Amino acid sequence: MTHSAVVVGGNRTPFAKAGGPFAEASNHDLLTSALDGLVARYGLAGQRIGEVAAGAVLKHSRDFNLTREAVLSSPLSPATPACDLQQACGTGLETTIYIANKIRLGQIDSGIAGGVDSTSDAPIVVSDPLRRTLLKANAARSTKDRIAPFARVRPRHLKPQAPSVAEPRTGLSMGEHQALTTERWGITRDEQDEIAAASHHKLAAAWEDGFFDDLVTPYMGVARDAILRPDTTIEKLAALRPAFGGPDGTMTAGNSTALSDGAATALLANEDWAREHHLPVLARFVDAEVAAVDHPGGDDLLLGPIAAAGRLLARQGLTLDDFALIEIHEAFASTVATTLKAWDDEDYCRSLGLDSKLGTIDRAKLNVTGSSLAAGHPFAATGARIVPTLAKLLQQKGPGSKGLISMCAAGGQGVVAILEAV
Amino acid sequence: MSILEKAFYSPVGKAVSAKAGLKEPARLRRGRTWPEGPIVLASIGGGTVGAQTLELLGRAAESPIVDDGDAAPGYGARIGALVVDATEVTRIDQLEELRALLRPAVRAVEGSGRIVVLARPAAGDWESRSVARALDGINRTVAKELRKGATATLIRVAPDATPGDLVSSLGFVLQGRAAYVTGQCWTVAPGGVAVESLAETPLDGHVVVVTGAARGIGAAIARTLARDGASVVAVDIPPAGEQLAAVANEVGGTALQLDITAADAGATIAAHVAQRGESIHAIVHNAGITRDKMLVNTDAARWSSVLDVNLAAQLRINEVLLDPATEGGLADGGRIVGIASTSGIAGNKGQTNYAASKAGVAGLVTAMAPDLVDRGITVNAVAPGFIETEMTGKIPFVQREMFRRANSLDQGGKPVDVAETIGYLIDPDSQGVTGQVIRVCGQALVGQ
Amino acid sequence: MTGAPDTVGTPRPVVHLEGSPGLGAAFARALVPSRAKRARLPEHELTIHDFSQDRSRLAAYSRVCGFTLRDAVPPTWIHVLTFPLHVHLLGDADSTIRLAGAVHTSNTMTLHRPVLADEALDLTVHAEGLRPHRRGALVDLVGRAEVDGETVWSGVSTYLAQGMKAPGEPEQVERPSWEAVTPQARWRLSGDLGRRYRAVSGDPNPIHTNRVAAKAFGFPRPIIHGMWTHARALAALEGRLPERFAAGVDFVKPVLLPGTIGFHASTVDGGIVADVTNRDGSKPHLRMRIEET
Repeated sequence: MTHSAVVVGGNRTPFAKAGGPFAEASNHDLLTSALDGLVARYGLAGQRIGEVAAGAVLKHSRDFNLTREAVLSSPLSPATPACDLQQACGTGLETTIYIANKIRLGQIDSGIAGGVDSTSDAPIVVSDPLRRTLLKANAARSTKDRIAPFARVRPRHLKPQAPSVAEPRTGLSMGEHQALTTERWGITRDEQDEIAAASHHKLAAAWEDGFFDDLVTPYMGVARDAILRPDTTIEKLAALRPAFGGPDGTMTAGNSTALSDGAATALLANEDWAREHHLPVLARFVDAEVAAVDHPGGDDLLLGPIAAAGRLLARQGLTLDDFALIEIHEAFASTVATTLKAWDDEDYCRSLGLDSKLGTIDRAKLNVTGSSLAAGHPFAATGARIVPTLAKLLQQKGPGSKGLISMCAAGGQGVVAILEAV
Repeated sequence: MSILEKAFYSPVGKAVSAKAGLKEPARLRRGRTWPEGPIVLASIGGGTVGAQTLELLGRAAESPIVDDGDAAPGYGARIGALVVDATEVTRIDQLEELRALLRPAVRAVEGSGRIVVLARPAAGDWESRSVARALDGINRTVAKELRKGATATLIRVAPDATPGDLVSSLGFVLQGRAAYVTGQCWTVAPGGVAVESLAETPLDGHVVVVTGAARGIGAAIARTLARDGASVVAVDIPPAGEQLAAVANEVGGTALQLDITAADAGATIAAHVAQRGESIHAIVHNAGITRDKMLVNTDAARWSSVLDVNLAAQLRINEVLLDPATEGGLADGGRIVGIASTSGIAGNKGQTNYAASKAGVAGLVTAMAPDLVDRGITVNAVAPGFIETEMTGKIPFVQREMFRRANSLDQGGKPVDVAETIGYLIDPDSQGVTGQVIRVCGQALVGQ
Repeated sequence: MTGAPDTVGTPRPVVHLEGSPGLGAAFARALVPSRAKRARLPEHELTIHDFSQDRSRLAAYSRVCGFTLRDAVPPTWIHVLTFPLHVHLLGDADSTIRLAGAVHTSNTMTLHRPVLADEALDLTVHAEGLRPHRRGALVDLVGRAEVDGETVWSGVSTYLAQGMKAPGEPEQVERPSWEAVTPQARWRLSGDLGRRYRAVSGDPNPIHTNRVAAKAFGFPRPIIHGMWTHARALAALEGRLPERFAAGVDFVKPVLLPGTIGFHASTVDGGIVADVTNRDGSKPHLRMRIEET
């Protein structure tokens, strides 16, 4: 028997630029803060939740049990189990899928999905030779044996290594990859700047409306998304120099997401359970699909969502027209533009094994309260930012309204999911 | 802490200030605690409501020592409280009996002890009405003469009020909850609720909305009401959300980030409560702001923001919550509590806007109370005096020390003192207490 | 294929080595550039029997080259195992061609079947195919790895002995045409990569690690070993390589350290064509062809 899994609501910290106001906060701190706010919003203090699943893309080895530790720091009952999941930028959505699936299978009645990332708290590791020396010394039995390995350590071994943002197999940063895609798909600078400006304006308007009053809890004195620039314009964005794709590139710091710090959570529950416990029922989790492309083989790194959405819509017998709202994670403005273009490209869609192209969408349905360009993108948190946001928007649209979430992720992956207002 | 402040609180500083006549303030008895010494009960003219109420409270009463002439007799030991049932006092000569009861008691009463006089509201002939007012003068003066944190309270018991109606009030006053309430007088009317005893957790199963709950007095209110069993909906502006969440989680309540001046604030509160399948037992309008300036410098923005947050928003929210059609609104038998202020009652330089709003709150509760009696909804206000909070901690030290000591208890109150008084007012058993403004001010020198 | 090629008429003399050659006289000689003008090669073949692969060295090799450490070893690893035999052979008193100064111009190898790390290998190397080149003499070092008499890997490394003479006329080789590519990957090579590869490959040529030595051979900075570049390119094709295949590379232009290079691969009929290029893909460093066998 399958159960109906619903989104009850969510909570996140405001997002801020890496090295900004949250520079001193760790992943643990941020995730705990997001849980604290969620617990407070829904009166869950002392309650045992079925499971909490969250993750971080950049994670310290000391945080091997990050989510469980955050649960223990939160007011949730210490009897609440937790697990860490990671699917690059798709983490926050993948944790939602994991929790929703458990609820649908009847394994749990309630669960929290989340994600956190702090590029300010990125783990710095020691070089391979030094690491092996330390391990060897640690395993040695005598003092002499313990000291001996260090004779081989050279100054260059002492240089710390920051985590690379490059794709391991290609050595290209995500921006460099997307620059290739941008050029291949002929996405213009204007188009990208327009998407970026709209993101800022829509997010600012939503904040002004109080839309985020029950979705965000301030942290460390920051009450709103700190990256947001309500007064940015296409003209201002047009003045920025290219950041990717060489001197003639079209991608700038303005139409690419900033490295960010923040955490987000979504509360999910069995629909009956939610009603019995008098919790809000915003939207039902309908279905999800994950896909991947062969980027080491030259495919467009961030177009994983094309096949994912195609297969998902085919399985559900839906078309893009069936969606009242669509959320496409703005890794880059050009990701949004290429995703839309690729969904409408017959040849490309067929090359992915889809029966036909997905078609076009009404831009008025897209990212109506802004997305990652304006809000920021703490990698693993973004999915858990979008899920409650979309659920709330769908509920406002009325029962039966459907929403599609599309997220690209490192490693050539794409995660998509469908929500439907109850 | 400033250097001056440090010096003042150093041992040397304390010795100097003691010589200068500044007493070390008494440590007040607080919480749901009874006086240590015996409770002495006296009745003038044969009133019995006092005796019956003490019985319901489960407190044994001892007989009084009466001053009958030359040498003032003593109790021999400290007494915890003197309760005088003066409900049958209507003539001037009866006041002598009160003197004879008070004289020995004032000397014997313990630290944080209580002198409580039960009387009737002013009524009857000229003498009777005059005497009623005379009791008020006595109460206020006794409060000033008492030492070591002992307090005096005058409760006017309406003729039809039963001992049950009086239980929550007398219990509140005798217990440590009323630590910072002294020299005050308020009325208990018939409540029509059968009360057999004092409840330990009177708010069990009741939803209470507290605005401005993220810090200071609001946070204390949330904690105290949660201790009394309430399910607290903690409301504050979104930027205060982090502290608000901490308070909500601490008390096991829920946090609602909301600007109370928003047009739909009342509806949002109701929806939040309705979502949980409940209705509101009480709303505590604690949120408030100050925008202090001398009137010559007060512009329209300073004026309107204070009046909107402190007064107009309450009115709008009450209107929505009182509408019987509002799901998640205020239940019949519910409670509304506003926060007035001694500034509002006495006026305060540089606070015209604030005084207007706070006096307005006092006016609002007296206006609303009679109209809601039919629905069993009570409307009251508390008027805090100098309360030690983060906000008052910012007042320069010398000025703060002056404020702090300008009352009969020689000290500032604590947020919990305000909270306890609110807890008393929203106790379902306090049905007969409505339209009252109770000052929690240690009998501040300013105001009534 | 049936029978042996006709060219192998008379069997070569065989010299057995006990274990991998160390710092013997031959090894030392191999590093000293030859002053002879006429290219001459030893006739014999060198063999090591029952060579046990060192897993920790394999792990280190895999890390440096980007391979996933598996039980089945990369074919370039087997080349590395035969490399000391190259050195030893060219260090023979009969050889006038020395490793130092010789340029590795191309390489082919065939993995006849997956080779496991715990298999003991019989490794054999001989030199053949001495022929003229416009800049000197070319020679092929032919290697073979066998397990119980079954050839599991074979390889041919072609070196150019600059300035040496060999009989005959240089063959006219047509350079394959080159079109710029958009790199699918970009590799940042650190300054110490030469040292790291030396540690795992045993190739002691100082041109890869020492600035002075590099200058002596006309390079502004040390250059990375061609076989590292070959291995790295193969590693980049992980998951796309057939079980048995032949890989041929041309070392078009040395890669200076430190440096950033590009990589581009595409599938062609019956195999994969991959290029290691400069940063923007305009010029090739190494061109590789993979064919299923």
